[in-house]
Amino acid sequence: MRRKILVVLLVALVAICSLPGVAAEKKLTVISGWSGPEMDAFMPVLSAFEKETGIKVDYQIYRAEDLAVLLPAQFDAKTAPGDVIFMWAWFVDKHAEDGHVLDMTGYLNEADFIPGALDPVKSGDKLYGGVFTGKVKPGFWYRKSFFKKHGLSEPKTFLEFMELCGKIQKISGIKAAIASGNGVGWPLSDIAEHFIASYAGPDVTHALIDKKISWQDPVVASVFKDRLVPLLEAGYFSEPVEWTMAQDLWWGGDYGLFFMGSWITGMVDDPDDLGVFSLPECKGIVFAPDYAFVPAYTKYPEEARQLLAFLSTKGQEVQVTTGGHIATYTKVPLSAYPGVDRGVAALLDGVVALPDLDDTIGGEWQPAFWDQLKLLWVSPDRVDEVLETLQRKAK
Amino acid sequence: MGQTRGRIFFFLPALVLLAVFVVYPVANTVWLSFQTPDGEFAFFRNYADVLSEPEIVDLRGFKRGFPYGALIHNIIWIVIHLPLTVMLGLILAVILRDVKGGVLIKSIVFLGMVTPMVVGGIILRFLFDGSVGILPSFLALFGVKQRTLTAHPDTALFALIAGSLWLWTPFSMVLYSAGLETIPDYVYEAAVIDGASPLRIFFLITVPLLRPVTGVVVTMTFLWVLKIFDIVFVATMGGPGGASNVLALQMYMYAFREFNPNAAAVVATFLMIVALVVSIPTFRALRGDN
Repeated sequence: MRRKILVVLLVALVAICSLPGVAAEKKLTVISGWSGPEMDAFMPVLSAFEKETGIKVDYQIYRAEDLAVLLPAQFDAKTAPGDVIFMWAWFVDKHAEDGHVLDMTGYLNEADFIPGALDPVKSGDKLYGGVFTGKVKPGFWYRKSFFKKHGLSEPKTFLEFMELCGKIQKISGIKAAIASGNGVGWPLSDIAEHFIASYAGPDVTHALIDKKISWQDPVVASVFKDRLVPLLEAGYFSEPVEWTMAQDLWWGGDYGLFFMGSWITGMVDDPDDLGVFSLPECKGIVFAPDYAFVPAYTKYPEEARQLLAFLSTKGQEVQVTTGGHIATYTKVPLSAYPGVDRGVAALLDGVVALPDLDDTIGGEWQPAFWDQLKLLWVSPDRVDEVLETLQRKAK
Repeated sequence: MGQTRGRIFFFLPALVLLAVFVVYPVANTVWLSFQTPDGEFAFFRNYADVLSEPEIVDLRGFKRGFPYGALIHNIIWIVIHLPLTVMLGLILAVILRDVKGGVLIKSIVFLGMVTPMVVGGIILRFLFDGSVGILPSFLALFGVKQRTLTAHPDTALFALIAGSLWLWTPFSMVLYSAGLETIPDYVYEAAVIDGASPLRIFFLITVPLLRPVTGVVVTMTFLWVLKIFDIVFVATMGGPGGASNVLALQMYMYAFREFNPNAAAVVATFLMIVALVVSIPTFRALRGDN
């Protein structure tokens, strides 16, 4: 008899535990590639969501390059590793076509965002993702104290830029005028994009994205051959160095300039010592928002949509306060930004905001671009071969 | 009859697992390599397309230097890595056999083998880094310009091959060490009594008696190099400009960057055929030896 009672109790316990809301607390998983200081800056956003909704959120780090491998196989198995996933817009767009992405139409009001911000994750009238804050890639960062100590000033022409590099190169203890960040390759692509936007113009950037102009076109080739290659040949750019290490070395005085996105303001010890300038004659600056989506295989579709909507709206205000981010949500007040970021935002005045070229094209071309730039950086004499490969891959 | 049934009973689960997890995926991959993305039969068109891509074979490399294409890079890797692994493993095993503290030294050497290849790749990246790497700093002592060896097309592949030697030589050392234990002491004693020098003993006794082990080391090393992926992916991603690209990495690029499973299947099938062509005769020869 006692055994029967025990069995009944056990069955009842299992049944109760199986009830929704009792078996396991609802917990959403957010995935992005941010780690270290970038992750630390993002966590308050998730905490704000938890506080507002009472829904727990778990955070996992996956680089976009790894997600590109992992997600297609998971989608085929009708599963997903997270409920809200930050990923390249082209990837979201591609997999939305195959039904692996939940529709976000109606959860976000396009009018509340800067024009075009949601376009990369739109297909017809349907919205398949949300947009988070963006990072501006404004140009070359320097330490104000370093410039002051060595009597350096921001250049107004390309010739002055060359001269500035020459002066920095001659300073004792300097390894190279400009630190070249490396990772999988994106820091070099950011530099190349800035040169294209500055000396070929925003229209050419758009034409390259749309594959309406060849990489071997004289206009594009001239940017590489007449602007970038002379700097590389003069040794003003360092060899590609892992970008976080490059940042430390630059901050420590091994290099004078460092090309990086606006998130750097949240990664250095003293943001007030930061100065930045765009290439002289710059006509366009990359403004690259981060995109996220809800996979169709989430266990909690409504809660996940709610989280993505929060990230795209109120979450942005929390994020910009930590520094290094520019909101795409227009309702974020200017007062929310730290002072240094208001300066970055000022650089956008009078220039065209451009999408990130390699992130927008994506696919096989993207790693080819990174890889060819790594080759160009150490063998600038092979510029023709680099452009030929980029064009072949673009076809 | 009962014994046969019993054998079948125990054999069947393994057979089913092999069929599901090995035979079917292999057959499906081969079939995929003959299909277009639309599922039509393409005969050898995929093979012609893939093998004629500069990412696989780039004959311009013979004029201007790296890259030569993933296939040539794999061949270079095998040509350099295979004999060095065999020789270094054998020499280390022989030298450390009777040395005081040999076990400890072997354990230290073996650390390379137990290091996960991905971690090994990251270590290589820093080992060869121009700013913080040990090797460029060491070479600088001899007047060699300090630079990141994995960042330059003329040194990237060789740097990775050197790194792979560190990671793989312990494997051959351990096999040779085990092989040496199987050679009876009296064979050496007889040779010493006959007045053979240590060098003659090494070449006329040790090396021939270790032939089966050499066969295993050669085959396993060949297969390992043929499918090498992780350290390249982590250390250089095949760059710069494809200068350290290898077949397995190219297969990954086809599959997960181009989302072209057919091209990836061509490379996979090609690798499988080469692996079979090399390993089957070697194992047959070893069986004959036994």
